[in-house]
Amino acid sequence: MRYRNATAYRFLTPYLLIFAIFWIWPIISSFLISFQATRTVPWRFAPTFNWGRLIGDPAFFNALKNTLLILVIQVPVMISLAVVMAVLLNSPLLKARGLYRFAFFAPVVVGEVAYSAVFRLMFSLDFGIVNKLLNSVGLEKIDWFSNVTPAMALIMIAVTWRWAGYNAIIILAGLQSIPDDVYEAATLDRVSKLRQFFYITLPLLKPVIVFCAVLSIIGTMQLFTEPFLITERGGPGGGTETLGLLLYRQGFRSLNFGYASAIAYTMAGLAIAITLVQLWLTREPK
Amino acid sequence: MAAVTLTNVVKRFGTFEVVHGANIDIADGEFVVFVGPSGCGKSTLLRMVAGLEDISGGEIAIGGKVVNDVEPADRGIAMVFQSYALYPHMTVEQNLSFGLRMNGNPKADTQRRVKRAAEILCIDELMQRRPKQLSGGQRQRVAIGRAIVREPQVFLFDEPLSNLDAELRVQMRVEISRLHKELGVTMIYVTHDQTEAMTLADRIVVLKAGNVEQIGAPLDLYDDPANRFVAGFIGSPKMNFIAAQVVDLSNSAATVELVNHGGARLRKPLCGPLPAAGAEVVLGVRPEHFFEAGEGDCDIPVKADVAEHLGSVSYVYADAGPEELIIEREARRQRASSDRFTVSIKAERSLLFDKTGARIR
Repeated sequence: MRYRNATAYRFLTPYLLIFAIFWIWPIISSFLISFQATRTVPWRFAPTFNWGRLIGDPAFFNALKNTLLILVIQVPVMISLAVVMAVLLNSPLLKARGLYRFAFFAPVVVGEVAYSAVFRLMFSLDFGIVNKLLNSVGLEKIDWFSNVTPAMALIMIAVTWRWAGYNAIIILAGLQSIPDDVYEAATLDRVSKLRQFFYITLPLLKPVIVFCAVLSIIGTMQLFTEPFLITERGGPGGGTETLGLLLYRQGFRSLNFGYASAIAYTMAGLAIAITLVQLWLTREPK
Repeated sequence: MAAVTLTNVVKRFGTFEVVHGANIDIADGEFVVFVGPSGCGKSTLLRMVAGLEDISGGEIAIGGKVVNDVEPADRGIAMVFQSYALYPHMTVEQNLSFGLRMNGNPKADTQRRVKRAAEILCIDELMQRRPKQLSGGQRQRVAIGRAIVREPQVFLFDEPLSNLDAELRVQMRVEISRLHKELGVTMIYVTHDQTEAMTLADRIVVLKAGNVEQIGAPLDLYDDPANRFVAGFIGSPKMNFIAAQVVDLSNSAATVELVNHGGARLRKPLCGPLPAAGAEVVLGVRPEHFFEAGEGDCDIPVKADVAEHLGSVSYVYADAGPEELIIEREARRQRASSDRFTVSIKAERSLLFDKTGARIR
């Protein structure tokens, strides 16, 4: 048995080496870098330099506030939308189900730059279709890119458009695992379709919804593409700057790797903490 | 309590017809079992009674009222599903009371009904458990309890014991029988297991490929099957079928020659129309209706192949020419394989079928 294990590990060695060099080491290294002042040459060990700055940095708190705002508004909206989409996709009345499934999933495979460019065009002040539609129903045009609130809303709309379908497909898989006869039993119990949804479907989907929520929380904590490309590097005036964007600005524009590492670990810590709280709140009763 | 009447009931899925005009009368308080092989339409028929499947043609009446267009919940029925269909996220108590709570039933009455069901089924101790914390038998009890709390006019059971092990199945069978006596309501029970059908039913409906083959009391079906299918389906081990040919007709009797048994002949008195001389027929003999050599009307030699010793009886699987016969033997535990012996058939304990499988009486 021991010989067989050794053989298995010999086969695994190339993968484990690459994993250690390109995954484990960077994780350890960035943790160590977060305790160094990296704006000096050579870098020097200064344990409180970056972490101390983090606690008092208004830019960090602005990015944290923006990230959490997106998280508490966009994630619940997106998951709710995904549940509704999944239920509609699961309806036996729906024709061309495969086509809808593809259409909902398509945004995930569209290139980020392409979709961001399209969103910028659609929400443009002067010739965007969204403002034209608003005008056509008698509403005033909105300057989506120059005001913080509309810019934030735009980020949330874009992220929801991109990921709601993806989550709907995961939730659809969960829906399809609920046996039909449970619903038939409820029908015989004279439980209306709406009540079946709230008392049977939602509780039975809880593990899948929690899974989607955890993925979304992690994704939102790392949100970068949309504020970088759509609202032009977290504009206006840092109004949509997220932690991911702040990390990028510190690490790759200011080349302050120590501070960027501290931000990265804070992001990971927050994602873990929020996820743990959520898992605790939605735990199965014993 | 209510009678259930099915009149020319047809079910089609698209253009494919799966039930071809079923006519069944079920009396108030009767326990009727639909039995047949997989795909015969028995579950479809039950689901049509429940309202879970639309009726393509004909009428279903419960308590004298046609229910073709009545919602399942308004038909006064309760159903126990093969897979139990318990709500996995609810406790046993919540499972039992869910339907009543959702319909605004008074709390005190809900509690009374749940308590009564729990007492009848001895599940009082399990009320705070969830389905995954229960054994198969306990889950089945909860599923039956959920039906009881509805206080229905008709209970429908869709193969409720097929997921249980053999011992538990026997136990639950007795409990369902007891429940029927206690509640006295109409019960329709679907199974593919003829033993369940024989032991539970007041009357059995035998189905094959969407057709009702015969309806009758268990022993009536056993002793007097309408055709070869019913004769073969009811009874375990199944009836033996021996190829024969009519060689003589005289005085309301047909003499048949067993074609694979060296010209052995049997004179079978008949009360109905006689078959044609020379017609190919099939002689049906149940395993327990073989007698010792010379005791019957016709002897045939056989060679034992395999013997199953069940204690009180043994079943010998014997080769008789190209046919394999199952023969019940008492006190033959020591009979070895490859033994050759002779069995005898009595005309009065055999049945005759024509080439199409219809009974010749």
